[in-house]
Amino acid sequence: MTDYRFPVSVEEALDILDAHAASSTPSGSGSARVIAGGTDLILDMRRGKRNPACLVDLTRIPGLDQIRVIGGVVEVGAAVTFAAIQEHPYLRQHVPALTAAARSVGALGIQTAATWVGNIVQAMPAADGAVVALALEAEARVVDRDGAVWWSVEELFLGPGRSVVDSTRQIVTHVRFPLPGHSWGTSWQRVGRRASLVLPIINCAVRIVLDGEGIEQAVIALGPVAPRPFRARQAESVLTGQRPTDEALAEAARIAQGESDPRSSVKRASREYRLAILPALVRAALHEAVRRARGSER
Amino acid sequence: MEITFVLNGRAVVVDVEPTRPLLDVLRTDLGLTGTKQGCDHEGECGACTVLLDGRPVRSCLTPVGKVTGRCVQTIEGLGVPGDLHPLQIAFIETGAVQCGFCAPGVLMAAKALLDRTPDPSREQIIEALDGNLCRCTGYARMVEAVQLAAARMRGESLPAPWAERSVIGGSPLRADSIAKVTGQAQYVEDVVMDGMLYGAVLRSPHHHARLVSLDAEPAVRVKGVVRVLTSADVPGKNSFVEYSRDEPILPPIGETVRMIGAPVALVVAESPAAAQAGLASIAVEYQVLPYAFDPTETLRADAFPIAGEDNVLTEFQVRHGDAAAVLAESDVVVETGYDTAYLEHAALERETLLGYLDEADRITVVGGTHQPHWQQRYIAQALALPQEQVRVILPPTGGTFGGKQDPWPFLAVALMVYHVRRPVRLTYSRRESFDASPKRHPYRMGFKIGATRDGQLTGIHVRILCNTGGYDGHGQYIANYALTASGGAYRWSAVDGLARSVYTNGPKAGQFRGFGTAQSTFALECTLDELAERLDLDPLALRLQNILADGDRSFLGYPVAETMGYREVLEAVRPHYQAYCQEVRAFNELRSQQGEPLRQGVGLAGMWYRFGKSGSLKSEAHAELAEDGHFVVYCSAPDYGQGTNTVMSQMAAEAMEVSRDGIELVNADTALTPDSGIQGASRATYWVGGSVVAAMTRLREEILGVAAEMLDVSPAVLSVEHGRVAVRTEPGRAVSLVEVAREFDRMGKRRRVAGFFDLTPNFLTENRPEYVPFFVTGAHVAQVEVHLETGTVRVLRVAAAHDVGRVVNPLDAVGQIEGAVLMGLGAALMEEFIPDHTTGLSDYYLPTAQSLPEISVHLVEVGGKFGPLGVKGLGEAAMLPASPAIVNGLSRAIGARLRTIPATPERVLEHIHRSRVVR
Repeated sequence: MTDYRFPVSVEEALDILDAHAASSTPSGSGSARVIAGGTDLILDMRRGKRNPACLVDLTRIPGLDQIRVIGGVVEVGAAVTFAAIQEHPYLRQHVPALTAAARSVGALGIQTAATWVGNIVQAMPAADGAVVALALEAEARVVDRDGAVWWSVEELFLGPGRSVVDSTRQIVTHVRFPLPGHSWGTSWQRVGRRASLVLPIINCAVRIVLDGEGIEQAVIALGPVAPRPFRARQAESVLTGQRPTDEALAEAARIAQGESDPRSSVKRASREYRLAILPALVRAALHEAVRRARGSER
Repeated sequence: MEITFVLNGRAVVVDVEPTRPLLDVLRTDLGLTGTKQGCDHEGECGACTVLLDGRPVRSCLTPVGKVTGRCVQTIEGLGVPGDLHPLQIAFIETGAVQCGFCAPGVLMAAKALLDRTPDPSREQIIEALDGNLCRCTGYARMVEAVQLAAARMRGESLPAPWAERSVIGGSPLRADSIAKVTGQAQYVEDVVMDGMLYGAVLRSPHHHARLVSLDAEPAVRVKGVVRVLTSADVPGKNSFVEYSRDEPILPPIGETVRMIGAPVALVVAESPAAAQAGLASIAVEYQVLPYAFDPTETLRADAFPIAGEDNVLTEFQVRHGDAAAVLAESDVVVETGYDTAYLEHAALERETLLGYLDEADRITVVGGTHQPHWQQRYIAQALALPQEQVRVILPPTGGTFGGKQDPWPFLAVALMVYHVRRPVRLTYSRRESFDASPKRHPYRMGFKIGATRDGQLTGIHVRILCNTGGYDGHGQYIANYALTASGGAYRWSAVDGLARSVYTNGPKAGQFRGFGTAQSTFALECTLDELAERLDLDPLALRLQNILADGDRSFLGYPVAETMGYREVLEAVRPHYQAYCQEVRAFNELRSQQGEPLRQGVGLAGMWYRFGKSGSLKSEAHAELAEDGHFVVYCSAPDYGQGTNTVMSQMAAEAMEVSRDGIELVNADTALTPDSGIQGASRATYWVGGSVVAAMTRLREEILGVAAEMLDVSPAVLSVEHGRVAVRTEPGRAVSLVEVAREFDRMGKRRRVAGFFDLTPNFLTENRPEYVPFFVTGAHVAQVEVHLETGTVRVLRVAAAHDVGRVVNPLDAVGQIEGAVLMGLGAALMEEFIPDHTTGLSDYYLPTAQSLPEISVHLVEVGGKFGPLGVKGLGEAAMLPASPAIVNGLSRAIGARLRTIPATPERVLEHIHRSRVVR
C-alpha cells in the first residue's frame, strides 16, 4: 500500500522524502514523491510510469496556497491551482497572459486541482503553465537538504517530461516573477483542435516592456516547438531597442518561426501547419502585449 | 490506509489504498453509483465530476488520500426525489436530460457555478460546463436549464417553460428523468449481483493476421480466473450471420483476424484485475498479414485479399435514363470528390452488459441495444438454445447513436454465462470501445451533376466507396443507404448511381445515426452549393426550383408516398438565411477594410431521409387493462436516451384519451414485450407508436363495449378516465375500471390485446427491400466564422427546420435536433478516428460546450398520411443537414471548397492559401 502524507511544513516534507530515499532502488521505486494537484501524477501512476511508495502532498503546508505580491515580485506557492490564479484580481489586471494560460489547461474540473508549479515541474514542451512562466522569466525555488536555490524556470527543463527537479528528494515551493511595471504588457495566444479540453497545437506567451516609444525588452515563449518549452531569443533580440512598428513585429514573428522546430503529430497537426500559424500567433501576441504595455488596453 | 472525510454532509471512514481514484471508492466501496465513469480515468469526459470543498473536480484524477478531512459532495447529496435541487428541476423541465449519463457530472459543475455566481452570463455557464462532455443534448438545453435554475434561486418565480404547451398525452416531461438527475437510475455498470464475475476480451493487436495457435492453459491457472473461452466453446453457430455475414463470435484457429480489436478469446474471472491477468497469460501466435485502410487500395487487382470477392462486401446500383447523355447535353456539369472520416459514436456510457440466469433459468443479458429481439435470436442460435430460453432486457442506457446495436458483446456475455452459470458483467474500457466498437463508414464519393443555365437539375452520376473496415458489421446494407441519400428530394431526369461497400483493415463500420445517409447527403448538398456558386444562383432558390412534386419519380425510380414538407422546411429557414447573409456581408466588408483576419460565411443544406426499416412495414405492441384498473403498454422501443419511454406513453395516453400519469410502460424486455421491430431508421414513433396507438385504441373499444353493457348505455356516450368509465351525459354515473377488469375476466375476455401497425397492404411488396417510400426532410443554415491565419473555425448560429409531421414531444424533438447539430458540427470540423493513432477521448475531439452555436429550431408540421396521429421520424434525420450546412458556410467564407471532413484547422488553412478570394 502506498502511504499518503500531509506534511505541515516543507521541512517535514523533506524529512519524509529523505526517509524513503534511503530505502529506494536506483529506478526510484520505494521512494516518496511530491504530489500537488496530482492530475498528471495519478495518470502516470496508472500507466505504470511512476511507482512511489509514499505520496507527499504539499497542498496543506501553510502558506503554499498563497499568491503574494511583495518586494518587487509576484510569488506563487506550490499549492496554488490554476483556478486560484484565474480568480486573483491582481493577476487578472496586470498579468492577463497568466490568467489566460491558466484557463487553457484542460477544463475547470482540472484547473481546480492542478497547480502552476506542478505544471512547470512536469516539463512538457506544450505545457501552458510552463510556456507562460518562460515569458514571465519566472524563477522556481527548489528546496532540498542542501537548502533553497532560486532557479530560472527555463533552466529546469531538460527534455520532454524531464526536469532538473527530482521530486523524490526536492520540492519546488514557489514560483516568482518580477512585479509588472508600468509599461509592461503580456499576451497569450493558443490554437488547438477545439476550443478547450485539448492540448495546444501551438501556444505562445509574450511579455513586452516598453521604454518610451521603444521596446526595452521582449520575451517570446512558445510550445510545442522544441523538446522543451522554448524561448525565441533571436526574435526577442531583434526587437530590443526597436520601435514596435507593424513591420518590426512581423519581422520578429518570422524570425521566431525560423528558430522553431516543431514535430508532426497525426492527431493534432503537422510540423508544416504549426510553422505556418506560428508567425500569426506571435504577431498577434506581440501586438496585444504592446497595446497593453501602452496602457491602451489591459 | 484509513481515510476520513465528509461525504454529502456526513463523516465517512474508508480503509483503502490512498492512491485509488476517489471515483472508484465512491462507486465501489461506498456504493454511490450516481457519479459516472466515461473515460479510462483520464479526466477526459467530466462524467465523474464531484465537488471538493465546493469546487468541481474530476474524481477519476483525485487520489482518495487527497480528500482526507475535506468535504465531498456527489449527486446523491444534491437532491433526492421529492426534494430536488432547483437545478435538477430545471434540467427536467427544459429537457436537458436525454440519456442522463453525463447529467450527474454536469449538475455538480453547474451547482459549483451557481454557489459562487448566482447570476451567471451565458458565457460563464458555458465555461462552467465546458469540460463535461455530452453526446445527446448538444448542451443547449443544459445552458437554458442553468439559467432557469439560477433565476429561480435568485427568487424569480418562473414557470416550467414548456408547461403551457399542450402536447399529446398531456406533459412533455420525461418520466425517467427524476432517477437520472438524482443519480438513482441504474445503468448496467451500477448493478452488482451476488456472485458476479467479470468478463474480459482478448483482442487482436494486429490489423490483419492469421490465428496460428492459442494456448489458454496458462490463463486458466491464473488465480481468480474461472474460465477461458475460445471458438471451441461456442455450442451453436459461431456467427451472427443475419446481422454480419463474416464475423465469428470467436475466430477458429487458422482464421484471419482483420482489425485491431477483433476478439480472439474471453476470460471470466472473480475480479477485473484477475480477468486482465488472465488475458495477459493467454499465449497466442499470429501470422501477421499485409494490411490497408484505404478502400481504393484494397480494390486494386493486386490487393491482398481481406474478405469477400475482390474485397467487396456488397454493391448497389440505381439507374434510370441515360445519365451520360443527359450530362453531356447539360449547360453546366459540376464534378466533385468528397471524403468523410471514420466516426466513433462515443456515447458517454461505454459498452457495458450484465448476464445472468433469471428466475426461469433463462440466459439473460441486460444491455443497451436497438433491438433486443434480434440479440435474443442471435444468442439462441449461438448457444443452440430455443429462443424462449434466452432473454434480453434493455436497462437505462447511456446513449448509443447506433454503436450499441453491435450484437457481439451480447453474444460474448451470453456465452460466458452459459459456461459459468453465474452472473457476469462485461465493461469495455474506453480504449477498447474505440478499438473494437463499430464506427461510421468513411466514404469516398465522386459526384457529377448537371444543370441548365437557369438552374434546372438534369442528370446525376454518383460513385461511392463505403469503407466497411475488417468486417460486415451490417455494412452490407450501407451501399443501398449511401445511394438512397445521394439524390435528395430533387427531380433528376437521369440517374447513374453505384455504391460499393469495401473491406479494409480499419475498424469494422456499422450503424451510426443516419445509417450511411449522412455522408452522401453531405456530398450532395455541398455539390449543389458548388453548382449554385457556379451558376451564381441563390442556393435556397436552386433547391426550391428542383423539389420533387407529389407523384414525381424520385432519384430512386419510384414516387414518394408520404408527404415530405421540403418546401416548407426551406421556407422556414429562409428568414434566417437572409438575415445571416446580410450580417455576414457587413461583417466581411468591415473586417476586410480593417485588415482583420476573420471572415464569415453562410451555408445552407437540405436533406431527405428515408425512415423506416426496409423489409418490414409492420409493428406490434400490446395494451392491457390491469386487474387494479390501470393501463399497461407493452412494446419494444428501446429508450437509450432519445425518449421513447415518454413518447410511447404519450401516444398511448392520447389513444386512450386519458392523461399519461396512470399508464405503465413495459418496454424492451423479450420475456415481456412483443417484437416491435428494430429501433433504427427513426422508425419508433411512426411504426412502434402506430402499434401502441392501435393496441390502446382496440383496448379502449373493448373497455367501452364491456362498460356499455355493464351500464346499459351506448358506448358512444362513455368516456374512459383514470380509474373509471363514465357516462358523459349523466354526471356521476360510472363504473370503475377494476369492475370492468373483473367483468373481462368473468366473460373470459383477454385484458391484454395486441395492436398492429401494418402498411404492408398499402405498398407493393415485390420491390422490397429497396422500395420504402417514406421520407422526411429538413434544412439547416449555418453562420460560420473562420480565422484566416490559423484556419480555426467557429459556428456562430444555426437555424434548423425539420418536418416532423406532428410534434409529439416538443422538448424531445428540439433536443434531438440540437444534439444532432452538435454531432454534425463534430463530424464537419473535429471528429476523426484515425486507425493506428486514435486511442480515446483525449485524441478524438468531440464538441464541448464551447462549440455550442446559437441554435434556432423550427418544428414544421406537414401531417403524414399513414403514420399514427400524423407523425413522422426525426432522430437520425436531424443529423444530416448540419455538416454540409457548416462546410458550405466555411467554404463560402474562404472562397475555396473544403471537400474532406473533418475540416481541421490545418485543412482549412491549406484551402485559404489556395483561395483567390481572401488572399
